[in-house]
Amino acid sequence: MNMATEKDHFHLLTAAWLALVALTLVSLGLGEWFRTALWLPLLVAAIIWCKGALVARCFIEAHVAHPFIRRVLAVFIAIAPTALVLTAFFGATLARWATL
Amino acid sequence: MSEAVLPSPAEIPAAEGRRIPGNKGIWVGITCELVEFLVLFAVYFVSRAHFPDAFHAGAQRLSVLAGTVITLLMVTSSYFIACSVNAIRAGRHRSSVGWLVAGLLVALGYPLAKFLEITWNLAHGIDGSSGIFFTVYYYLTFNHLVHASWGILGILWVLARLLAHGYSADDHAGLEALASYWHATDIIWLVIFPLFYVLA
Repeated sequence: MNMATEKDHFHLLTAAWLALVALTLVSLGLGEWFRTALWLPLLVAAIIWCKGALVARCFIEAHVAHPFIRRVLAVFIAIAPTALVLTAFFGATLARWATL
Repeated sequence: MSEAVLPSPAEIPAAEGRRIPGNKGIWVGITCELVEFLVLFAVYFVSRAHFPDAFHAGAQRLSVLAGTVITLLMVTSSYFIACSVNAIRAGRHRSSVGWLVAGLLVALGYPLAKFLEITWNLAHGIDGSSGIFFTVYYYLTFNHLVHASWGILGILWVLARLLAHGYSADDHAGLEALASYWHATDIIWLVIFPLFYVLA
């Protein structure tokens, strides 16, 4: 790889870091102000996905990585938000299915 | 008969969109780490589905400040280490060392913050036997701390190699592998944080 032509990603990395800090503070505010809101888990799930996708794309550079790495990260980042939404809206059904 | 010479793997340019950040070995480890935490998250969600009230009440007793500080430490150290990789790629060795030292110092804040959080928890009567929420909380967060501690040891090793000019613009797979591991550990914390500290 010719490093002289390598693009400097400093500004992109800084923007990603600022976005991660901002999303962290936003999620804290949401948790504090809308503690009992039914839609809170939906929004928190979206923020979890956004933050995970940001780290994967900007820090790990998953978009140019081997498809296996891309898929592993995409699946991992999607599972927890999906499970959070399912538990929030179909918790009783999930508990029944998970009862031995 | 003409002679065919195959290029060595190092000479073959990585095909567009098929790059391996770091090396294959670290991605075997990272995949195992992610699978391990998926199992732990399954435990969390099944417990949450069975005991929604315990999870609602439990989260309100945790120190949100501690969770926030750890989150900021994780994303900031991740950022610094990404900057270290960015600098070595451009051949800026001293800058790369500086960013990695900054990443290490910030990462060391995690075990310190966790120690203070546990001390605070115990002072408020929160231990592993305080209920299902806290059992899952200790199990998951301690596990993450163990993984982060391995990462910190990795940073120390990579820093030693970087100081000895073991990495250059053309060969920095070890630094990138460490960065990949630390970023993956960061992603895991970014899932843990809202599950325990935000959804009260």
